[in-house]
Amino acid sequence: MNLEAPLPTVARSRWTGLGAFIGTELRVQLHEVLSIATSIIVQAVFLVFVAVLARQYLSYTLIGAVVFSTFQIGQRVQNEAAWIRIDHKLHEMYHASPMTPEAYFLGMSVGVLLAYCAPIFVLFAAAAYFVGLTLPVALVLLAVLGGEFVFTASVGYMISTWFKNMRSIWPYSTLFFNFFSVLPPVFYPLWLFPPALQPVALILPTSGGTALVEHAAGILPLSAEWIALAAGSLVVGASLAFVGAVYWARRISRER
Amino acid sequence: MATAMAPPVPVPLPRHGRVFPAFALIGWRWISRNPAATVAPILLPFIFLYFLKLISPPGLFPLEIIGAMLFTTQNIGNWVLGDSAYWRLESSLQDLFIVSPLGKVGYLFGIAVSNMIAALPAYVVLGLLLASVVHVPWVAWIALAGSVGLLWILFSAIGIAISSRLRSQREIWPVGNLLFTSLGMLSPLYLPIWLLPHAWQSVAYFLPGTYAAVIVQSSVGLLPAGVSIGFGSLLDAGLLAVTAVVGTALAVRLYRWQER
Repeated sequence: MNLEAPLPTVARSRWTGLGAFIGTELRVQLHEVLSIATSIIVQAVFLVFVAVLARQYLSYTLIGAVVFSTFQIGQRVQNEAAWIRIDHKLHEMYHASPMTPEAYFLGMSVGVLLAYCAPIFVLFAAAAYFVGLTLPVALVLLAVLGGEFVFTASVGYMISTWFKNMRSIWPYSTLFFNFFSVLPPVFYPLWLFPPALQPVALILPTSGGTALVEHAAGILPLSAEWIALAAGSLVVGASLAFVGAVYWARRISRER
Repeated sequence: MATAMAPPVPVPLPRHGRVFPAFALIGWRWISRNPAATVAPILLPFIFLYFLKLISPPGLFPLEIIGAMLFTTQNIGNWVLGDSAYWRLESSLQDLFIVSPLGKVGYLFGIAVSNMIAALPAYVVLGLLLASVVHVPWVAWIALAGSVGLLWILFSAIGIAISSRLRSQREIWPVGNLLFTSLGMLSPLYLPIWLLPHAWQSVAYFLPGTYAAVIVQSSVGLLPAGVSIGFGSLLDAGLLAVTAVVGTALAVRLYRWQER
């Protein structure tokens, strides 16, 4: 046997291993039933606050809860990616396999999304019932959720690679995801936000996306310029984040 | 040549250390080394407060600040849970403490002190905010400090008891979130209890956080005219103390100090 002979090269496309890793990650995540169930608690708290104190804002909070639930997927992706890399040390093994780095990132993200879609469905159904979402509005909401998912999963994956231990990640990720998803007008209407900062809120993918859905549902008037600002920011932000995450996934596929 | 070995003379080891200052130092070093760690644990109570400030009538804001203080206190239990589980599962530090002269109750209070340090900035900010929006009599400050103290001990004990049953770090976040956020909401800390449905009110009176909220709200004078809550100041204080003592005793009993 000639041990000097070069190893056969494995032909692989850019997304080799994606389907298999989505399935793997989905199965892993589905073991975390308690985590999936408790992912709705913060949204429930906001809904209770509004139901008791300001029922007139319930439609805004429901739409915001759906957007927030999708945005939180990024935090799960970040925790999972860090967990695999730092705690289980499985990252190297996955990258030594024929699976490409981008399939690893996207497979993980989609697997997490599929596992955590139950709370999103519940809130989506509640929003459809209470807000009275028509088909076009539901489609706008789905499109916004798609943009949110791409943005948040990409950012979450990139953040996960910047830390060397699990304990350090938690405070920074908490700050990042809460500042993006709770402080801006996601759970409350845009007009309660300081007027000077409202364009900034529309640039953020969370509050901008929420405003677009609320506008489509007829509960938030927006000018054409502001619609363009919110939609453009969401598309550009999600695209840049995705391209950045794919680039970053390839670049850091080996520890140095 | 064999020589007779003298039996080793036992060296008297100190049995009393400076446990609480040591744990306080741990708490201080954690937040001083990691600026985000100073803000992140206290973020949730402030986020709820910010949201309520936007959507609720302005007259309820003092009540909501008190709610944020009490919720922060309950949340210390969540941090205690996280720390003790992390130290046991990841760092294997608990074994070291077990073989030291430190007992399990000392360890419990030590972690509670360590996490109280992390919560102090939140109390200072919320206290100043409260004093700036409403006149707080000195009796109310005492009631607030007492309520915070009792809840702190109780929820720290609950946190450490639960943490001793966890088997993986992955359980820390969902279990802590489920337990402490849910308990924080079931006791109407941020919400006026008189606005809640009767069924919720009935459940809430089984929880110590409710008595803490009722005592402090009454002592600050936040109840609208004609509204009476709780069972009278003395009985409320007694019920808070009893639930805190019984809860702490149960939690300490449930708390598994040594692995089997």
